[in-house]
Amino acid sequence: MHKLLSLKGVKKSFPTKGKTVDVLGGLTFDVNEQDFVSIIGPSGCGKTTIFNIIAGLLDPDTGEISYRGQQVTGLRGKVGYMMQRDLLFPWRTVLENVMLAPELKRMPAAEARDNALEYLNTFGLGGFENNYPKTLSGGMRQRVALIRTLISDPDVLLLDEPFSALDYQTRLYLEGVLLEAVDTFKKTVILVTHDIDEAVALSKRVVVLAGKPSHVKQVYDIDIGEKSPIGARSHPHFSGYFHQLCAELDIQTRQH
Amino acid sequence: MSHAISGAPPVAPARARRKKKTHVLDNGWGRSAIQVAALVLFLWVWQLGADIGWVSSFMVGSPAEIYKALARGMASGDLLRDSGYTLMESILGFVIGTLVGSVLGLALWYSPFIARLTEPFIIAVNSIPKIAFGPIVILWFGTGLVSKVALAVSLTAIVALIAAYQAAKDADVDFQTLLVTLGAEKHDVFFKVIVPSSLPAMISTFRINIGFGLVGAVVGEFISSEHGLGHMIFTASGLYDLNTVWAGLFTLMVIGFGLYFVIDYIERKLLPWKDDVHHASLNV
Repeated sequence: MHKLLSLKGVKKSFPTKGKTVDVLGGLTFDVNEQDFVSIIGPSGCGKTTIFNIIAGLLDPDTGEISYRGQQVTGLRGKVGYMMQRDLLFPWRTVLENVMLAPELKRMPAAEARDNALEYLNTFGLGGFENNYPKTLSGGMRQRVALIRTLISDPDVLLLDEPFSALDYQTRLYLEGVLLEAVDTFKKTVILVTHDIDEAVALSKRVVVLAGKPSHVKQVYDIDIGEKSPIGARSHPHFSGYFHQLCAELDIQTRQH
Repeated sequence: MSHAISGAPPVAPARARRKKKTHVLDNGWGRSAIQVAALVLFLWVWQLGADIGWVSSFMVGSPAEIYKALARGMASGDLLRDSGYTLMESILGFVIGTLVGSVLGLALWYSPFIARLTEPFIIAVNSIPKIAFGPIVILWFGTGLVSKVALAVSLTAIVALIAAYQAAKDADVDFQTLLVTLGAEKHDVFFKVIVPSSLPAMISTFRINIGFGLVGAVVGEFISSEHGLGHMIFTASGLYDLNTVWAGLFTLMVIGFGLYFVIDYIERKLLPWKDDVHHASLNV
């Protein structure tokens, strides 16, 4: 497996009210081609900050980021960033929302439209293309957001707790949708989540962050080959990984 | 049968379900009937008062005479002509002022530096009651159409500018961030996020601004004019012809109503995606 993305000693601090808060204290980890990496850790450990740095929205104080072996200052335009809020533009229809990225790349309208409609159909949203987001349920909206993210064919997907605002059943459903899409389109994923279940069920590797400022405490390889998130939860190794990770985080919370 | 656990907390007695009180007349027909009846009663009492001398019809006018004034105005074509003038001045003033103000306000988003630079000046100009500019505007632009439009513009432009700039500043940062991650440049963010998300706030100030457009036109006509409803009202009041004054005011009211409807229509056309939430139907 080739290394797609590599972070070395990435540090970041923010000035707040006079003093400086060190958020990232030298992060080092790799992401391989077609990897599925979950990042878990206590609240406030800078997970969103890492994403912003990878996406090129923030500059790190020190440290390097390498992409396919070359040093870069962030992967602007190469990442698909999905946040907890679906961020669908309320003034655009579902179709128009999905066509945002192709529009920005000045793709010919007819081609973009056909492509977008195909995606919508694949994800079970055919017939909703002319609806405004306000008429869709939370799960449907995140599905549209996922399509919007995938349609620009990014190399890396950065998912920042994309399902945590949804009810549990919708969440399970969307985890399945995500895995299928990742498999079909051969994407590399970095997922931030507070849901340890989700991390174990979906990932190939789990990065555990700890400390203030954060550093990589441990990286777990998850050896569950299941393609379905519900199936993964009944795999014999699932429980073991789950408890190991819970223990990792427990130790940290007790020391706070 | 289970025995009650001693010390268990008492259960609140069930409240008799209160039926939601909807007044039997609280519907389209009922309300209209009451409103029309109130209006008719008011006019009837007024007319009666004028006839029996209880109110001085000289100082206050009477519905019958007002009606006659309106009829005369319509017949001679003067009413329509004056209305046309005032309407045109208001609409032109509103359109030009809102356009210029909105474009400038949104453009300030592009350069926060220029925005901060000009902020105190904008606040200063906004603090002056724009009507006070009336005499100077007439001096500069003459007594014709242009001066009334200029006055209306001075009222509407500043309001539109402040509304547009505020709306642009309040645009959701996450939307902008998202677009940047999809590969957007600043001008993409401006046209795809800032402008559409500022539109609702801007359009809701249209209602205020169309009112200001009318004010600018009418006050300009008060100060110096040969045409228009403001001119008609001003002249009539100088002649103590109160019935014509009321006729003019009534016509202005009709015009105002009409313009509000137009704004409503524009809003629905420009913002098809906007929520139309009116009243919650919960049993409160």
